[in-house]
Parts: sequence; structure tokens; C-alpha cells
Amino acid sequence: MKKIFIVLLIAFSFSSCEKDDICDANTRTTPRLVIEFYDVSNPSVLKNVTDLKVIGEGKTEGIIFNNAANDSKYVTNGSTISIPLKTDATTSTYSFILNSRNPNPTFIDSDKVTFNYTTKDVFVSRACGFKTLFILDPLNPYTQTAIPSTKLKWMQFISVEKSNIDNEDETHIKVFF
Amino acid sequence: MSMFLAQAQDTIPTKTSLERTKIVGEIPEVPKQVTKKTDLIPKTDTIVPVKKDRYGVRVGVDLYKLTRGLYDGNYKGIELVGDYRLTKKYYLAAELGSEDKKTEDDRLNTNTKGTYIKAGFDYNAYENWLDMENIISIGLRGGFSTFSQRLNSYKIYNAYPYWGEMPWNPSGEEFNGLTASWIEVVTGVKVKVINNIFVGFSLRLNVLITDKKPSDNFENLYIPGFNRTYAGNFGVGFNYTITYFVPLYKKTVKPKEK
Repeated sequence: MKKIFIVLLIAFSFSSCEKDDICDANTRTTPRLVIEFYDVSNPSVLKNVTDLKVIGEGKTEGIIFNNAANDSKYVTNGSTISIPLKTDATTSTYSFILNSRNPNPTFIDSDKVTFNYTTKDVFVSRACGFKTLFILDPLNPYTQTAIPSTKLKWMQFISVEKSNIDNEDETHIKVFF
Repeated sequence: MSMFLAQAQDTIPTKTSLERTKIVGEIPEVPKQVTKKTDLIPKTDTIVPVKKDRYGVRVGVDLYKLTRGLYDGNYKGIELVGDYRLTKKYYLAAELGSEDKKTEDDRLNTNTKGTYIKAGFDYNAYENWLDMENIISIGLRGGFSTFSQRLNSYKIYNAYPYWGEMPWNPSGEEFNGLTASWIEVVTGVKVKVINNIFVGFSLRLNVLITDKKPSDNFENLYIPGFNRTYAGNFGVGFNYTITYFVPLYKKTVKPKEK
């Protein structure tokens, strides 16, 4: 009889973990595009951007880069950014606005970049569902224009380091400015 | 201990165990002493009834699976259960079932359809009095299932929904010829309600042994008979049965002391 009760106890304790349906935050799910910024005059040295704001096409708010309470959460002064790509499309277009908080508009540089890719949906787990992986188009990974087009592109060179975007541990794009 | 139990069924135990051991130590003819001692209490029946155990086949159905289809539109299933009494304590036991279940998780919607068989034994740990035939059992089963799984639709997990939360993606991808096998530890109760009708329930703890995955890009979220899969190969199950006992022959129970 004792044995029976022990087994019953185990059975009940297992039935209580019915809700394991929460996706662990550490699980590798849909990756973002990781971009690193380098000094164009010294290409091996990372260079911090100044008040860079990235806004997706058709969006009014920029990508949030930090936990600040005010509008400064939309700007970054680091050398690496991660931006989410559209999982239900094969292109994503962003405006990369440098010196976005400069009061003098002539100092604000804006480049529009469209990334072209294919997607692949991969099963993760019951709790997380699927994730989308991206493969940048090998022939035409991106198109870049300055806004307005009369201006020079502030991103002087864009290099695709990894065309398979499987995780966020590696740099996919290097930008030299 | 077992001698005490056997005697307890025959006579009315009135003495303390201390007295009893004393008697056993002195005189070998224990039954005589017992009747003498109990003479003080007025007795209506001194005849020891001949105890006969019935042997046969019990067949039935899992009421839970049968009725679940009535209120759960995502489920259709049936399970037939049966056992055959081998010895006083051991029963051969088996379950045979079929399930068709739609599973709606937060990000996955799947259909699982298939059949299963479980076979093994039950050990009755309950000491019945007279002609009682109740069972409190612990047992083991080996389970095997063949099934198919269809991915109806899925959602993409995106920790950074800058472009908005994505809707369900339809899929319809079907995975056929899937198999799984497992071991179950079963604890159960069966009680005779009238004549040869028994009702019972059992709880099961399952450990997955083999699991043929649909593809590198998917896994089995539900296995007929095994139920929902968890990380770590464990599963749980239960059934609520009504069974009919078909008696085949009888065996006289020999008291152990003779």
C-alpha cells in the first residue's frame, strides 16, 4: 500500500506541471539582424554612432534600443545595433538617421536601406512555436539610398558578413562610416 | 502476519497479540485454543465458509474517453480494457484504444490520430474477505502506438514584435507512419458494484522509450495512449472504467495454516 501511495503522489505531482507553455526568454527564437559600425578610415576599429535612430518604413516610432523612459530609448550611441526583420515579407526597409537629435537639420544624415531576403520557418518547441530564419539575397542583399538623394550616403560602405541569419551571436552586416 | 489475517477471517479476534504469541509458543494446536477463548462471546456462526476464488476474463470500456467526445469537440476516442486472472494475485491486463485529438497550444495547432495497444500485468495488493472481489492493484504495461500528426497552423515567436504581432500561419503539413513506445506504471482500483459489473479507475505514469519524430523540423506533441508529451520523456494518464466479469472457473482458497 505504501508503494501505491508513493506512485500516486508522483503521478499527481506530474499532473501539476501541466502549464509548461511559457517560452523561456533564453530560447533562441527569431533572430534580429546584427549590424556593427566601423570607422571608414580605420576599418578594423569599431566606431560609435551619434544619436542613431532607426525607423521602419511605414512606422512612426523608431526601434527601441534601451530602457530609457523618454524618447532617448529610440536613439543609440553604441557601435552595434540589432534590428528585427519582417517575418511575413521578403524585404524590410529602414531609415538610418544619424545625429537625429541635432537641432540643425543640415547635420542630420539619413540613409534608407532595404534588405532583401528569403525566410525559413523552423520549429522550436511547444511553448515557443516556430521561429523565422532569414537568408539575405546573395546577389542583391540590400539597396541603399540617401535621403534626400542629393546628399551623400553617410554609410559609405555596407558589407554583408553573414548572409544566413540564424542567431544573434554573430555580426551579419558591417557598416563603415 | 499472514497467519493472523487468515485466522481473523475465520474467527472473531478478541485477544491481544501478546496473549496469542504466548499460546502459539506453548501449544501447537492454535485453532482449538481460539475457539475456547471466544466462547465468552455469544456466537451465531462457527462454521468456516469455504472460500472460492473466481477466475475469468474481465472486459470493459474507458468511460472517460467515451464521454469526453460529448463535451470536447476537439476529441474523439475509445479505449477497450480487459484482464485475465492468472493466479490469486496476478492478472494479465491490456488496453486497446483509438484517439483523434486536436491540440490547441498558444502557438501550435495540431491534429493527432492513431491507435494504441498496452499490455502487461496487474498485481492485486488487496486482501479480500470471503467472496469479495475488489482490486487495489499496481501494475506495469508496455505501450505501443502508430499514428499520424498534422500541423494545422503555427505562430512565429518573435521577442521583438516591432512590425506587429504576426497572425497564425496556415500549414496543413501531414506526418504519417509515426510510432512510439513506452512503459507505464499503473495503480488502480476496481470495485464490484453488482453481480459481475465492476467500476474502477487507474492512474498511470508513462516513460517514453522510442519516439519517431515527424521530421527534423517538428516533434510529436501528443501520442495516442501516451497522451501529451513533456520534456524529459515523462507522461501521465488515467482512465475510468466499467467492466463486466465473465467467470470461467473457480478455485478453492486453501487456508495457509493447514
